Amino acid sequence: MKVWPGLLLALAVAILVGACAGHDWATPDDLLRAIAGGPDLRSRLLVEWRIPRVLAAALVGALLGLGGTIFQGVFRNPLAEPYLLGSAGGAALGATVALLVPLAAPQSLVLPVLAFVGAWGSTVLVIGISRVSGAVDAAGMLLAGVAVAAILGALRSFLMLALSDETVSLQIVLSWVLGGVQTPTWPILGLLTAITVVCLGLALLLAGRLDVLGLGEAMATAFGLNVTRFIAIAVLAGSVVVAAAVAFGGLVAFVGLASPHIARWLVGPLHKPLMPASALVGAIVVTLADALARSALPPAEIPLGLVTAVAGGPFFIALLARRLRT
Amino acid sequence: MTDLVARNLVVKRGNATLLDDLSLSLSSPGAVALIGPNGAGKSTLLRVLAGIEAPLSGAVQVGDRRLATLSQAVRAATIGYLPQYFDPHWDLTVADLVRLGAERGAQRRSGAIESAREMFELTPLWRRRWSTLSGGERARALLAMVLVVDPPILLADEPAAALDIRHRLDVIRTLSHRGGERLSIVVVHDLDLAFRFFDRVVVVDRGRIVADAPAEALIADPLLDQVFAVRFERLKTADGWLLRAASRA
Repeated sequence: MKVWPGLLLALAVAILVGACAGHDWATPDDLLRAIAGGPDLRSRLLVEWRIPRVLAAALVGALLGLGGTIFQGVFRNPLAEPYLLGSAGGAALGATVALLVPLAAPQSLVLPVLAFVGAWGSTVLVIGISRVSGAVDAAGMLLAGVAVAAILGALRSFLMLALSDETVSLQIVLSWVLGGVQTPTWPILGLLTAITVVCLGLALLLAGRLDVLGLGEAMATAFGLNVTRFIAIAVLAGSVVVAAAVAFGGLVAFVGLASPHIARWLVGPLHKPLMPASALVGAIVVTLADALARSALPPAEIPLGLVTAVAGGPFFIALLARRLRT
Repeated sequence: MTDLVARNLVVKRGNATLLDDLSLSLSSPGAVALIGPNGAGKSTLLRVLAGIEAPLSGAVQVGDRRLATLSQAVRAATIGYLPQYFDPHWDLTVADLVRLGAERGAQRRSGAIESAREMFELTPLWRRRWSTLSGGERARALLAMVLVVDPPILLADEPAAALDIRHRLDVIRTLSHRGGERLSIVVVHDLDLAFRFFDRVVVVDRGRIVADAPAEALIADPLLDQVFAVRFERLKTADGWLLRAASRA
């Protein structure tokens, strides 16, 4: 089968499965009736809750796939995790503040904004640290990212201990940190769609230069790439993408790592086809994982991040083992 | 013609001085071999001449322009650089690699990719991935991706050192042959190949140029023995001299 029709078909099937799955399984007939504007409660629930949630999961997955591809391209390391640069730690800190500190603005607005600010700020911090220490190469940034992520994680834990009381439940913070796509309203879903399209465009703009960077820093420089500047730009672009994913989907582990790999098996390592392929793979993976999270243990919902970590962890270990063996 | 002139280059790393007030003038066309012991500064010199590394002081002149003032695209199209080790991070095909080489620089010549494919006999390898190529095939692919834009200046850092003798001869011959019409500067490990295939031999030692002469004049110079810290026996052959090294007593 051709790769692209295959991927699109797989995504359509994943969305269909996701829309059917839940505490209360729907049939494709129910879905059709709901989309056609059925007046019954079940149809309204499907249109207002489940379908937007499923589409949001697909878009968050696409963003994670794009973010992972950008970060792996920048670090030229197929084991690079988008979260290594501290952007996820920053986003989680921002979200924790939004959830625990009473602010004037509505939380639905404050949370994504603060997650954005946190992700962006921590990435800028990481770049700043590696620049001051004179190690603006991939390894230097990676190490700075690990250190910043550890500090931000400790800060977040402290905030959770210090600020939570009877009125603010830790449960809410935890469920976000553990990963979970919130159910958006249709206008918010439109916004998420627009953000995803912009991020895809951004990723495609970087694609050609990521290929050149993959030749190695000396060769890339000889081929006319300003390596230091491009790495800084690409890292910022990557953290925008990851921040968007984190703002709408919480901390979802391993999708950003696994999607580019699966996509590379399908379309090869050139970044131009890799970006959309990785976005599609991420969308498929998160849609299915979210369906599992919602339906496996009714009436409870398993945090999405736990589903992807349990599935993705072994994937990471297998990659690591294969890499160490060769 | 694009000449390459280095003036008073200094490069330091930590306490080590890698290039020590080095000046060198290379006029086009010409085939120049850079020789010298390990750690002499040959690779550093090549990286500075290619604009990959900026010197602490001193400057490089390319034709009538300073290297540092050239745009990235112009520099990339003017100076071809063949690194000592090349191993792409992603397993690209030969076709992709040559296309990436052709896309650098401002203007694209039509048919450049096809003629590079013909010249380096890459047609049967065109769809193969890098990891599946042999050492000799990799050398041809690398030459094609660097030379596809036909840069007026070529800087090559021992690209043939790890190849078997037949492929090494092929590569060295290609590089020195380019010196007939363009400027070709090659770090050569094998002294016999350096003296046999290049018009001019430049000896680098401890970050300085210690000798710079036509090959036939330099081969008899006792300075060679001193720089490489061996005793050379010079054996007469049908078409020149052969160096045989022995440890110094």
